[in-house]
Amino acid sequence: MIPEPSTLELTRCASCHLRFLPNDGPCPRCGSRDCTIYAASSMGRVLAATELQYPASGWHAPHPLALVELEDAVRVLAIEEGSLPEVGTLVRVRRDGALYRARAPTPE
Amino acid sequence: MTVHVASVGMGRFGKRTEGLIDLAAEAANLALEGVGRKPIDLVVVGSMLAEGPHGREALLPRLAGRLGLESASGFRVDSSSGTGGMAFHAAVLALETGRYERALVVAAEKMTDRSTAEITKELSAALHSSEVAAGATMPGLAALVTQRYLAAHRVSLHAVDLAAVHARAMAVRNPNAQFQKAVTVEEVAASRPVALPLRLLHCSAISDGAAAVVLEKGAGPASVLGLGQGLDALRLVDREELTTFAATRSAARRAYEAAHLTRKEVEVLEVHDAFSPFLLIHLEDLGFCGPGEGAKWFEKGWVGLDGRLPVNPSGGVIGRGHPIAATGLTSIAEVALQLRGEAGAHAVARAPKVGLAQTVSGIAAHNFVTILGRSAA
Repeated sequence: MIPEPSTLELTRCASCHLRFLPNDGPCPRCGSRDCTIYAASSMGRVLAATELQYPASGWHAPHPLALVELEDAVRVLAIEEGSLPEVGTLVRVRRDGALYRARAPTPE
Repeated sequence: MTVHVASVGMGRFGKRTEGLIDLAAEAANLALEGVGRKPIDLVVVGSMLAEGPHGREALLPRLAGRLGLESASGFRVDSSSGTGGMAFHAAVLALETGRYERALVVAAEKMTDRSTAEITKELSAALHSSEVAAGATMPGLAALVTQRYLAAHRVSLHAVDLAAVHARAMAVRNPNAQFQKAVTVEEVAASRPVALPLRLLHCSAISDGAAAVVLEKGAGPASVLGLGQGLDALRLVDREELTTFAATRSAARRAYEAAHLTRKEVEVLEVHDAFSPFLLIHLEDLGFCGPGEGAKWFEKGWVGLDGRLPVNPSGGVIGRGHPIAATGLTSIAEVALQLRGEAGAHAVARAPKVGLAQTVSGIAAHNFVTILGRSAA
């Protein structure tokens, strides 16, 4: 089994110090383009989770989505891979191309 | 310069056999009749879904041609579900330049000729592309906001059910509303899941419809007292807060400042409840109560026609139906009807002097607040 990565790439703004999920544009708070990618913990807690009975095209129902707050206080919208988590559940988030996926961490 | 709503035109919302131009023309003609077909020198139209496979491009010249208004100037606006609010604001700002005398504002949408899957895909244009790529839809993101809101403020879903019941009860009095049957709290709680905690009866419906107003220079019972807009991050994860809409708060602050009023003077409210829980959040963001206190308004029944503050006497978006672009203008038009004493069976008990309409684009990325009331010239 491939080990789950313990880090996730996030962005830090050099101007206002906001940490945010990588995007194609400038810092969402101050507009600065002086932003750098850094490796952060991939662990986070579920803020909210739902199963979409009518997901966007290309996905099958029920489609589980979770809003996760990472340890660096950055939020990510992730596709949940296990059973739908309760609010507050600890999950590990990994990047999968343009997507993010979350699941409860594998026991050591 | 003062501008006022001189007339209002709306047809029935719901599944209609007519096309987009027919629906827009129906509402526009009602509004034009209301001012005795006085000359119009500006036409502002709004529609989100007008393009696409149905050949509805050139909405403005088509509609102007149908109405015999080719001599007017005009423009078309689009801000997804906030389009109607944007169209109204654009027309007011244009009249305030002094360049125009009288404006016709029309916002219309034709939706029921497309499948739910097609509509869902087209409405996703109002979301961030990364959210859509992850499978999110408008109700899906609304469900996440709702769950966060309920958890953060320890609010019971029952209060959200009550907000849906309220909307449908109000709609029964509005002959234009899509839904003419009230629902019980049990029916809301038992309706099929869309994206829990949101169920079908918490969500607004696909609908056809249009609204129109004529705006004139000068004062009247429905004068424009204040306008405000607010923007927020399109991507939900970039927002500073998830249980409140910053775009409403900034729009409201600007509108109250422009009107030299506070929320205490607002006597009727029409807000954008595309999803029932948003009713609670809007009450909080517009300053009527603190964070998490919106639930109390529905639990105590303060929102009825004779309540402390009548909220969505038209039935709101849940009760009226949600023809996307038309909704924002409909909310403003409904406030104007209340102020002009023309609301009929859904008139609020105490004739209001000041009313507020709020409109939301997408998941509250670009919101509009409009305050109308009687003003000196």
